[in-house]
This record gives sequence, structure tokens and C-alpha cells, in this order.
Amino acid sequence: MSAVYNWQLGREMEYPYDGAFPDRQFAFVFNINRCIGCQSCTMACKSTWTFSKGQEYMWWNNVETKPYGGYPQHWDVKLLQLLEQLNPGGQTWNGAPQALKAPYGQFKGQTVFEAALKNVSAEGAQQALGYLPTDEEWAAPNRYEDNPTGAEKGQKSRYFAGGESLPQHKTWFFYLARICNHCSYPACLAACPRNAIYKRPEDGIVLVDQERCRGYRKCMEACPYKKTLYRGTTRVTEKCIGCFPRVEGRDPAGGGLPMQTRCMAACVGHIRLQGLVQLNQDGTWKEDRYNPLYYLVHVAKVALPLYPQFGTEPNGYYIPPRWVPRPYLRQMFGPGVDGAIERYANPDRELLAVLQLFGKEQRICSRYEIKEGPKIFETEVRGKRFAMYNDTIVGYAHDGTKVVETTVEEPVHIRPDKHANSI
Amino acid sequence: MQLRYADDFVEGAVFICANRRRCGPPPLQIRRFHLAREKLYSILDPDARNTAFFNLQLEWFREWGLEKMLVGPADEFPLLRRMLNALVFRRARIQRDEGAELYVGPENGRSGVVALRIERFDRPDELACFLRHEFAHVNDMLDPAFGYSPEVHLPGRNAAQQRLTRERYRLLWDIAIDGRLTAASRATLGGREQHRVAFDHVFGFWPESRRNEVFDALWVDRQPRHADLLAIASDPRGLDSTHEPVPGAACPLCGFATFAWAGAHGLSAPTRAAICAEFPHWAPDQGACRRCVEIYRIVGARTPLAV
Ligand code: SF4
Ligand code: SF4
Ligand code: SF4
Ligand SMILES: [Zn+2]
Ligand SMILES: [Zn+2]
Repeated sequence: MSAVYNWQLGREMEYPYDGAFPDRQFAFVFNINRCIGCQSCTMACKSTWTFSKGQEYMWWNNVETKPYGGYPQHWDVKLLQLLEQLNPGGQTWNGAPQALKAPYGQFKGQTVFEAALKNVSAEGAQQALGYLPTDEEWAAPNRYEDNPTGAEKGQKSRYFAGGESLPQHKTWFFYLARICNHCSYPACLAACPRNAIYKRPEDGIVLVDQERCRGYRKCMEACPYKKTLYRGTTRVTEKCIGCFPRVEGRDPAGGGLPMQTRCMAACVGHIRLQGLVQLNQDGTWKEDRYNPLYYLVHVAKVALPLYPQFGTEPNGYYIPPRWVPRPYLRQMFGPGVDGAIERYANPDRELLAVLQLFGKEQRICSRYEIKEGPKIFETEVRGKRFAMYNDTIVGYAHDGTKVVETTVEEPVHIRPDKHANSI
Repeated sequence: MQLRYADDFVEGAVFICANRRRCGPPPLQIRRFHLAREKLYSILDPDARNTAFFNLQLEWFREWGLEKMLVGPADEFPLLRRMLNALVFRRARIQRDEGAELYVGPENGRSGVVALRIERFDRPDELACFLRHEFAHVNDMLDPAFGYSPEVHLPGRNAAQQRLTRERYRLLWDIAIDGRLTAASRATLGGREQHRVAFDHVFGFWPESRRNEVFDALWVDRQPRHADLLAIASDPRGLDSTHEPVPGAACPLCGFATFAWAGAHGLSAPTRAAICAEFPHWAPDQGACRRCVEIYRIVGARTPLAV
């Protein structure tokens, strides 16, 4: 075991290997508030990478309805329960936030790596606390679709009035889109007895070496997000490859520039933004003020890691759904939730402009610039003054090529009424 | 009787066993198993590789007593060994797909096929209960005294009615099986109470006295018969014999169950003639559903009466 620094937890933690960080790390932000659960992302991935024999139950990208759904079924609840059993009442946060090194304060509980040391059997300890899902749990990717939960038990023939008023709905669900988080401290990698899983130094994408894997499925047991999947026909494990040929700029459609992954590009709801972020020696993020991901995670702090307490330092970030009861969200995204929702619900000029980058362009935007525009709208939202400016945001690829330019006011095209059905 | 296994069944069961964190096989054996398994990845021909994996895994399947967990309960049903050519086990992914079937073919003779989830190997006691119940199904299917026929198909019933009948039949059969197993002091997955709840749910239209009578008879029946179960399942309300308009009975014209009977006695002569043109044996006493009456009223109005 080594001591590594996990900035999402604001402290050092135990990890089986020394930290080794890529120059630039694959990362993404999903805005849950916008996801419509259409599964276009899921199908984009499936039709690109997992359409072959033996991959029938393999969904590298999945979208589940929370709180009841999950693929595999109940993956998060099961792990939370295991952690709670080993550290009853101890999975808590406190401590003062500190920019870049501890933005959410400090996690006082145990990560999957630390808790595993207590879970010893004849084989020895696990590398990361986990469990192997059953066939049945893998059998249906979208169980409980659209099932809401309510504060009161339902009554026959009675409509539950007031369930839908903000700030927290009493009747609620939301869609959680998930892919592999290409973690900085991957549990899958830590658990593999054959060192078949590696993290690429160029972009931090985590891959399974198909030649080395011998189907031990220790990674499936260890990955807290359950994002490695076993293929019975080849007897090796497969997982999301972060569409690395695209990220490398090898998709001809990008004209040689790095492109966002298939699932990002296909997103109908424009909820996704993916790119690469620069890292320091200890794995914390290098200041890169006008990288949109850096801005969303470290400046606006609206995007939060998924279950940071698991300890793998996932590189997927989420803008939490603002209608969902906070205790649930705090468990899922940590203590940054309240601030994130507050800022997202009352966006400033820069945030409004950066949110426009989502889904507008397939090539990766590494830096943005905002040109100020006129005030176009003013109102009061929940007792606060809100003004909207039609600023223009311009995005550039890592080599300085301009890849996107868009405005806060979304372009509207009014069709001439030449014919009744003019298109 | 030959034992046969689907490869993914054996593979899954052995893997689960090797991966068990508590009460698993000795670690040294697990290491040997994995080392042997690793070597097989170098076989390039896919068929040869699959065969090699199967053979290796079958060895450990036997070594770790998994085969014995299946054969033990099977041996409690001597009819299986005597009458089956093969007993086949295959992997079910979800609970709904679990269960036993009997296949009879010209070449392979009779085969019993049991589908189960591999996780059942993690709970040996429950596995034994599950298997015993399923083998009892196969046993009944083989037993001439039970008189099984795979045709739970009833002529003149629509698809929904057929399905309902099959569901009721399954329920009755399960009760009859677990009743006998309980009498033989065998543990079962579903207890008497549980079966009773399901039974009340499905046969809720009967008065309680009748439910008590039928359920109790089934639970203690030592020699249930296919035909009797099917009779209860197919027409529990005795609607077949009534041609009077009973709510939910089948309309004699269209055959659909109906709750909307039309007064067939007051029908006009042309309507009645139109019905009798297609159903010569129909009499107004048998009734007709409202929809049929509407149709024949229109048909009758269009057809000039041959006077
Ligand atoms: S999400 Fe799971 S599979 Fe992906 S890198 Fe992290 S631990 Fe590995
Ligand atoms: S990044 Fe690529 S491989 Fe990974 S889930 Fe998305 S589409 Fe699939
Ligand atoms: S394509 Fe986008 S909006 Fe649709 S389900 Fe996926 S993440 Fe949600
Ligand atoms: Zn049964
Ligand atoms: Zn009718």
C-alpha cells in the first residue's frame, strides 16, 4: 500500500500503487438537469463498440433512473451498505474546503481501498471492497425506468398535490447517465491479479489489455461503479475505452483534432461536455482558468464527482439535479451539492455562456473566450434579480484552432410562411 | 440416465465457487484451478479452446462437489433414472426463466432439462429445495399415473384464456408438489401459507369454503392427476356448461368472454335470421353479447328477407 493524495477527499489515502498521473486526463461533465433519458448515448456506444456476440449484456454507457434503477441493479446501494457495515456511522465529511486541494472539505470515513483491509478472508484481503453482481442484476439495464419515489405513501385515486414544487420536489426521480470514470486511482486496476489493466500516460484513459486478461473478474468485483464487464465468448473483461481513437484525433471527421467520444457527441439533451484537463505531480488539477471543465469543477464548482467517498477519484463530474432532496444528493455527490445547486440555479454571466458549449461541437474545446454582449432580459427569480446578457463564447482546440462559437441567446430561425408546410 | 451440462452453466458454477470469500474450496486448489485455466487461453482454435475449458471446468465441478449437489436430490426420484435418457442442466439468467421441462424426441428419447441461476450454488439448502421441486415436476410428467400431456391447449379458447389456464395449472401443480414433499418431511421453498395466499389470489372468485376444500384436497393429495388439475384450471367457474348469460362467460357467437349481454329474446326477425344464417343451432336462450347483436342487427337490416 502507498499513500496517495486524493483531492476529492481532501486528504491522503491508501492505494495499492504509487500515484502515476497523465499529463492530461480524460474528464467529462454531465448536466443531469438536462438529461431526458433517451438512451441515444447508450445506443451510440453499443452500435460502435459492443454489438458482437457475447456482448449482449454489455452496456459501457448506461442511463438509469434514480433512486430505484441501476445497472447492475442496486450497484451503489449495495456498496454503500457494505461500507456502512464495516464502518458504521463513520462515512462522514467535515473540515474546511481549500481550493484545488480540498474543495469539498475532508472525508473522514473509509474508501473502498481502506475498508477492504478489514474485509479479510482465506484468500487474504480484497484490494478494494466490493462484490460481484449476479447474472440477474446484469440482465436488465433499465429496470425501474421512470419510477419516482415520494415523501408520502401513495393513496388510491388521490393525486399527490404539491409534490412538484421547488426547491425540493416531494415526488421525484432523475436520470443518471454513466460511463467508466477513467479514475485517477482505478479500483479495477488495483484489483487485477495479472496487471492487465493500465492507465494511459497520454490521456489517463483506463484500458483492459485483452491479451493479458485471464477472466478473473476481480476488476468487476472491485470497480465501485461496476463498469468492467465480462464477455463469456472470449472469457476476458471489456470496458469503456473512452473512444480513444477519437480522443487521439484519429477520427477523420475531426480533421486531425481530438474529438469528444461517441456517447458525448450523440447526446440529444446536450448534457455532456468532455475534454482533457492538465494535472499536477500530485494529481490535483493544474490551474487552467479558461478550460471549460476546469471552470465548471474548480471555479463555478457546479460539477461534482460521483460518489467521491468511494475513493477512486473518478473523472466524471455531474451538475446535480436541482429538484432532488439534498440528503440524497449529498450522499451521491458529497458536501459540494448545496453550493453547486445554488450557483446553477442562479447562474452568472460566465456560467450561462459556458453551459452553451455543451453539445454544440464534437471537437474537444480546451480553452474558451467570452465576448460581452448586450443585456437582453431581466427578471426576478425566487426573490433574486436575474439579468441575461447575450454574450458570445468562442472555443478553441488545444492547438488554438477555433472549433466553436455560439451565443447565450440560442439562435432562432423563423421559417418564412411561403407555404403552409414550409420547411 | 446421462447427465449433461451447458458449458456456461458449469463455467459459471465453478467460477462462483472459486470466488466464494467464505467457506469456499481450499485456496491451494483455487490457485491450481486458475493456473490450469490460464493455460487454456493460449489455444487458438475457438472450438478446441471451448472444449478444453469445458473439460477442465467439469473436473472441478465434480471435485468441488457441485455435481453431487444436483445428483443427490435427483436420486430421490427413481423414476428419473429409469425413464430419462438424459438429465440436462442449463444456466438461467433470471428467476422467471428457471424451471424444468421434459423433451421427448425421436432420436434422444426423453430428456429432462432443468434451468437454474448459478447463484443458487451459493445456498446449498435452498438449491436442494429448488431442485427437488423441479424434479418432482419431471417425475410427474414421467409418471403414467399422473397422465401428463404437454398439450395444455384448450380448443375454442382465445390466447388470453389459454394463458390464464396455464398459470392456474402451474399454481395447482406447485401446490400438489409441495404438499407431497412436505408430507415426505422435505423442506420446500414455498410453504403452505405462501401457496395459500397465491391460491386465494388466483381463485378469489370462489367462496372461502370452496377454496378451503379445493386447497386442502390438493395439499394432501398423494396421487394428483393431470386431467383433474387441468379441469379445475380450465373452467374454475363452470362457465362452459352454462349457456345462460352469466357475467364473464363466453358469448356463443364470437367466443369472447363478456359482461355485456344483450337481451336476445326481443331481437327483431331480421336480426335473428342473420344470426341463424351463420349459427344454425343458436337459440335466443343462449344469449349473445351486445357487440354481436349490434353487428347482426346491421347485417340483418342489409339483407332483404327471403319471404
Ligand atoms: S470507473 Fe471502474 S472501471 Fe472505470 S476506471 Fe474507475 S474503477 Fe476502473
Ligand atoms: S466513451 Fe466511448 S466507449 Fe466509453 S461509453 Fe462513451 S461511447 Fe462507449
Ligand atoms: S443522450 Fe443525453 S439526454 Fe439522452 S439519455 Fe444520454 S445523456 Fe441523457
Ligand atoms: Zn413448480
Ligand atoms: Zn359476441
